Amino acid sequence: MDNFDDVTPLPIETELEDELCRIMYTDEYRETLGLARALLQAGEYSERALKLTAKVISLAPAFYTIWNYRYDIVMHLATQRGEVAEAIDRELDWVDEVTLNNPKNYQIWSYKQALLQKHPFPSFKRELPILQMMIEDDTKNYHVWSFRKWCVLFFQDFSHELSYSDLLIKRDIYNNSAWTHRMFVFKHSEPDSTQIKLEIDYVKDKIELVPQNVSVWSYLRGLYENFWDSKYDESIIKFAASFTSNVQDFDHKDSNLPEIESSHALEFLANIYAYQENKKQNAIRAYLALSSKYDPIRKVYWQRQISLIK
Amino acid sequence: MISQLDNRKHVKFLKRHLELLPSSHQEHDPNKMAIIFYSIMGLAALKIDVCKEYKANLHWLHKHYRTIRSPDSQETISGFTGSFSMLISSVNCLSLPNTLFAILTCRTLKDEEFFHEIIDPKGVASFVGRCQDPEVGSFTSTLDYKRLIPSPVDTGDLRFCYIAVAILQLIGFTNEGELKEFIDVEKLIQYILAQQCADGGFGSYGEPHAGYTSCALSALSLLGKLDRLSDCFKERTISWLVSRQVSNQGCMRFQEGNDCFDSEDHGGFQGRENKFADTCYVFWCLNSLRLLTPDGCELPIQPDLAEDFLINRTQNNVIGGFSKNDQDDPDLYHTCLGIAALAMLDGSFDGVLFIPKGITV
Repeated sequence: MDNFDDVTPLPIETELEDELCRIMYTDEYRETLGLARALLQAGEYSERALKLTAKVISLAPAFYTIWNYRYDIVMHLATQRGEVAEAIDRELDWVDEVTLNNPKNYQIWSYKQALLQKHPFPSFKRELPILQMMIEDDTKNYHVWSFRKWCVLFFQDFSHELSYSDLLIKRDIYNNSAWTHRMFVFKHSEPDSTQIKLEIDYVKDKIELVPQNVSVWSYLRGLYENFWDSKYDESIIKFAASFTSNVQDFDHKDSNLPEIESSHALEFLANIYAYQENKKQNAIRAYLALSSKYDPIRKVYWQRQISLIK
Repeated sequence: MISQLDNRKHVKFLKRHLELLPSSHQEHDPNKMAIIFYSIMGLAALKIDVCKEYKANLHWLHKHYRTIRSPDSQETISGFTGSFSMLISSVNCLSLPNTLFAILTCRTLKDEEFFHEIIDPKGVASFVGRCQDPEVGSFTSTLDYKRLIPSPVDTGDLRFCYIAVAILQLIGFTNEGELKEFIDVEKLIQYILAQQCADGGFGSYGEPHAGYTSCALSALSLLGKLDRLSDCFKERTISWLVSRQVSNQGCMRFQEGNDCFDSEDHGGFQGRENKFADTCYVFWCLNSLRLLTPDGCELPIQPDLAEDFLINRTQNNVIGGFSKNDQDDPDLYHTCLGIAALAMLDGSFDGVLFIPKGITV
């Protein structure tokens, strides 16, 4: 530990009579916070202050002002020494270490954004390995995926993303974060009609693998809405109907409804038919079947959809 | 099967968080106000007379309220810090979330002294306004500690937008003319609208999230601007929210390969597609659906099953409290949210402002 003999600590006031949630601080916490608060107040931008903020962050990562103070120290020292890129690189390395030790800490992502924005020549390549590790550790972590999308936009580099989402989807076809990431990227790629057709084939393959998966059906709908003005052709209707035993096309008694493979396929069809004048009866049949057999927890909602058609 | 809310144990669980805490709580020290808020709000939702029990602590609570003068102008801003560890004179440690937590706590404790003598509403509103990004319209959770600009190491998101609007509402700035004095209402609305997702709901970069959805809808509702959402988007959001109720019936059984599906979650709500049900998302989804359902109409979901999920699956009958699922230990956040969700279902809790109904100061 550095020498702080010249610093008068600024202790946290505690053990008051009317205090709520009094925490039994450890000596280490008391001492570290006492010093850090004093340096922050004095506005000391030094190497020892930098090290001390790391210690505070390891003890109380939610100490929001300390992150702000640390950032100022880093930038101050960097400018003073005239080596901004090196200093920010070192700081990014430090954040990565903190991240790996404490993946649930959400302060790190906005901190990294601030650093990257100040970097004279930031690199997406540098960020990719840590992003990959973090996503592997928690494949649906909202903060990490948001940071990845921020990076993609910041660096204007979409080149790794389709293959990356494919990798994650192959690993877990139910990963909705990977599917929404794929849509985000695909939309930005301004695909031509051949690429769109290939993408529809891609999602159809995934639907055939697992028909009862909400993410894939949303993705399919998204492709039609974004690129084909919601014009659902005969082939896609036929494709969806292949998972519903055509229950939307014939009247059934509830007790005679067969098992089908996907309630999402049936909902997909119902939502299309609800807007077609000559198919409204098919939409109603589909909603009724969802209500009575295929997705009964949402019966109030399916009945509501029927009332909206009429 | 236990089929009711075990109030006695929950009260003990919540009160314990307001007493002496072991050093393992040190990491939450900077946001102590959140601990106080979730505990007091949980107790109030259980209809405990919190005013009587905690009025004596108000003086200590008020010490977290600070007024800061800008070094380069005459402007003063006011708000709360998260704890005494963040009270450092001449350093701005005010925090937007902790300011909301403190104001709601004061309101729940019917703290007349605070609302009539201590608070400078314009100072608080100025603090809120300073947290807004003038370009994007979103809010950050803190300011830079030296200057009255949003913290450079923080980013705006829907949570802080909601918190900003809720604070302004609670301190009496309710109509658009008054709000415009402190924040750019139109920019804020534009930011919220930009977080709409194609599948319904709100979230960053197109992935809808029930928590953000509740924040966005609550903020728009407090601003009186829910009509800025298209009917088509509202319908899609209702559909998205309704689909978050986890089921093990019909085709919903066919998810053997889904690592985040548990048939025992039946009736609970998930925060996103293909995730486990979780106590807090019952609250976020139901609050959102309430806002999109006309007054007096039933919600298009099964509230009884949501209640069963909370009472029979995530309630802890040994030490009290609620956990997020049936695996983890109970924690304060999920305890408060679980109790609030149940209180909202019986009509005694205002989910938009997050406070029991009928409290006036």
